[in-house]
Amino acid sequence: MTPLLKAWSLYARWTARYPAVHSIVPFIPLVALWAVVAESNIFPRAFFPGPLEVVRSFGTLVYKGILPDYLEDSIVRLAVGTAAGVALGIPLGVLVGLSPRAHALLWPILLFFQAIGDIAWLPILLIWFGFSLTTMTFVIVYTVLFPVVLNTALGVRSVPLDLHRAALSLGASRTRVIWEVVLPGALPNIMTGLRNGLGYGWRALIAAEIIVGTSGIGFLMFDARRAGSVVEILLGMIVLGVLWYIVDSWVLAPIERATGERWGLVTR
Amino acid sequence: MKRLVLKDLSKTYFDPYAGAHVTAVQEVSLEVKQGEFVSVVGPSGCGKTTLLNMIAGFIPASGGEILLDERAVDGPGPERGVVFQSFALFPWKTVLENVAFGPKIRGLSRTEREKIAREYLDLVGLANVAERYPNELSGGMQQRVGVVRALANNPDVLLMDEPFASVDAQTRMTLQEELTRIWQERRPTIIFITHDVGEAVFLANRVVVLSKGRILKEIEVTLPRPRAWDLLTEDAAFKALSGQVLQLVRSA
Repeated sequence: MTPLLKAWSLYARWTARYPAVHSIVPFIPLVALWAVVAESNIFPRAFFPGPLEVVRSFGTLVYKGILPDYLEDSIVRLAVGTAAGVALGIPLGVLVGLSPRAHALLWPILLFFQAIGDIAWLPILLIWFGFSLTTMTFVIVYTVLFPVVLNTALGVRSVPLDLHRAALSLGASRTRVIWEVVLPGALPNIMTGLRNGLGYGWRALIAAEIIVGTSGIGFLMFDARRAGSVVEILLGMIVLGVLWYIVDSWVLAPIERATGERWGLVTR
Repeated sequence: MKRLVLKDLSKTYFDPYAGAHVTAVQEVSLEVKQGEFVSVVGPSGCGKTTLLNMIAGFIPASGGEILLDERAVDGPGPERGVVFQSFALFPWKTVLENVAFGPKIRGLSRTEREKIAREYLDLVGLANVAERYPNELSGGMQQRVGVVRALANNPDVLLMDEPFASVDAQTRMTLQEELTRIWQERRPTIIFITHDVGEAVFLANRVVVLSKGRILKEIEVTLPRPRAWDLLTEDAAFKALSGQVLQLVRSA
């Protein structure tokens, strides 16, 4: 009993000091299971490599500079696409959220185009723009745009009427109300839109990289398939998961904690 | 002298469910002098909030006019401050930033507007929570912020729409006493909407009883100030006035 208690208290102290431990611990049994299955050689080793092989391949690809390069390509594409999607999406969402006329006019169109999934655009984009950066950027911007527009519009409409009125009767102009009331009030929803948009965008990017195929994590995985390297495919999948976790816990969650949760607009 | 004048003010709107025009406010004429404290009291549905929303400029009138200092009111404006039943504080701004909002819109520098905001927070004893966010405050504290946020903008008229209806009974009494104190110190012009007869009489110089969108009666309140609940609860004149107003409201 005592060693168990000791282990538990050690765990409690460690997680208190290093919160990251919290997010690593759940993966330990998962990786252990993976290792056991791989070592048992139920499946041929080339089809089902273990964690160690993946780590080794990680080392090699980092050493050769391929992984950092591809990772950078993917992240830059995602960042540029997301920035453009957000820059277009927030103003459009505010317009649709504030103006009943714009809502009546644009909402059906938005829903229509939202239904044509990102990847469904690829065939026509490949004809128009070829296997190019334009094609990939279009897909990401398109994917990020809709969740941001729809959620921003929702957020804008959820700002209580009394807050608009309070700002107006304190002398604010309509434009000022957008900056001081509408945007901060819609921020929690905008963050939800961004979160969804980034998630979808990330997936769309991988798909686009697989098809367009010049560089990037998606290309790395698809190229590995051609070479029959399951290790590298697994590595690519793990990189995707880890990267999303980092974006979430280092970028999105801190913003949400500092805004909506702090203001009491969202409950944790 | 800045006067607020309502001339034959009316509001009708079309109710799509009833399929008919509904009259919320009907030919209300009222004059409020500078520095007056007027309560408008009436049962729910008597049109008191509609009346206030028209004066605030939140909704257009269907007929008649609203003149502030001889000028027609058109839309919301900083010369008519509003205190809301829902408090309507900006959740993303600290208490200080909320109170400094009006001065900020007027273009005052950060130092100037924060100085003003702190002065007003001092007035209601909230200087110590200036850096907090509204959701960290109790309802009574939030509404104190709501009141001084409107006052800090120096409005010609302060419009209060059942501002104390959503706080508990004890806090409400304290807030009422604080409001009479502030009114005595600063003499803002106040139009105070309420359904609470005791509150209307306790606060005002004049009580306007509203019924079915019309003014039923105006009653002068000459009770001495400063007013405090432990003095007035047993006061014969207060009881008589409250009784009179209550009868009017119930007959309405």
